[in-house]
Amino acid sequence: MSTILAHQLTQRFGPDLALDAVDLVLDKGEHLAVLGENGAGKTTLLRILATAARPSSGQLELFGLNAMRERRRLRALIGFVAHAPGLYPALSAAENLEFFGSLHGVGRARVAETLELVGLADVANRPAGRLSRGEQQRLAIGRAVLHDPRLLILDEPDASLDSGGADLLARVMHGRSAVLATHDHALANRLCQRTEVLRSGRSLGAGTRLRVVQ
Amino acid sequence: MTRSVEVAFAVARKDLTSEWRTRELVPALGQFVVLALVIANFGFQIDSQNAATIAPGVLWLALVFAGLVAFGRAFAAEREQASLEAMLLTPASPVAIFAGKALAAALLLIACEVVLLPALALLFGTPLNVALVAAVLLATVGMAALGCLFAAMVARVRAREVLLPLLTLPLWIPFIIAGGQAVQVAMGASGSYNQAVALLIDFDILFVVLTSLAARFVLDD
Repeated sequence: MSTILAHQLTQRFGPDLALDAVDLVLDKGEHLAVLGENGAGKTTLLRILATAARPSSGQLELFGLNAMRERRRLRALIGFVAHAPGLYPALSAAENLEFFGSLHGVGRARVAETLELVGLADVANRPAGRLSRGEQQRLAIGRAVLHDPRLLILDEPDASLDSGGADLLARVMHGRSAVLATHDHALANRLCQRTEVLRSGRSLGAGTRLRVVQ
Repeated sequence: MTRSVEVAFAVARKDLTSEWRTRELVPALGQFVVLALVIANFGFQIDSQNAATIAPGVLWLALVFAGLVAFGRAFAAEREQASLEAMLLTPASPVAIFAGKALAAALLLIACEVVLLPALALLFGTPLNVALVAAVLLATVGMAALGCLFAAMVARVRAREVLLPLLTLPLWIPFIIAGGQAVQVAMGASGSYNQAVALLIDFDILFVVLTSLAARFVLDD
């Protein structure tokens, strides 16, 4: 059973075609990089895969379940890092995770473990609004893996991370399927086995990492 | 069910903690209602004869506009921080999330009423009694449910400040009519207080159920 099985995913915003009949398959434990220039449709594709948006047409199965009908069930299996960190600035890093943990039904022990994993244990009690942009991104990544999801969807998570960011991403992606949108081909090459290149919403085809780098 | 209650309380606690630390809304709302009462006090010729007639209208005007601000902020802040989507991408029930947001917004409006009602008694010389407080609290419940539903609906559109009153105010009218009658009687006018309060309870039940059913469709894209 594939983790992701997408067939002819299409997304229209009024007259604009953001995603044009994209097919995608991701197997268990596989890491896929989605590459493309700004406006290529990477975020649209990832939002659909994360069940944050519904496609205009096409079919999507995640873990063998219909992603349009089983959204709440699937959300327990998916971790999503969006463009914006989406944190509560007045709450501390730990309180942010505790809050999202309560929505996932995850205990406090897992919060401490996650803060350690993303390297924020030292600033756990600092309000999220006073964390640096990179630390906020680490916290958003922590929130995405808090409930130990089987599929991780990362939309340009490296945008504000420091030099240790790639190691952090490797750690959180380890042992789970992942889709990573990035402009950084070297990062995609290091973290993912396969790539999908988008241009103007259309897939230019999937390939191995070597093919893209060449 | 227990899980949904836990989620609702977690959401409400999060909103109240954020407000307690930032103090963005309640102090501003408190100032607004006091200023509204002061302006009304100067604008009307208040005397012992007409105070009980004018005061209920002033009370509901101040409460309605304070409510629009309080409920509007409940979802606008989440949208601005892009945190609503993060919340909705959990397995938590959207209805429970909505209930938590409405509960927190209602409690913030009640905090504002703690300033409003004594200020009204002070400036208009009207009685401050349990019957008056009960009527206002009962109206707050239904108004919070409706206000939060429409706030969630318009939070993603640019003209939300204009749309929220246009959508919400017509549906708040039943609360203003029944609540207004209950408040007038509590302030000494003739009429049936029990009948007005029973109507308020009916409206509360009706709109809490309806908004809970609609919340799922409003919050879940």
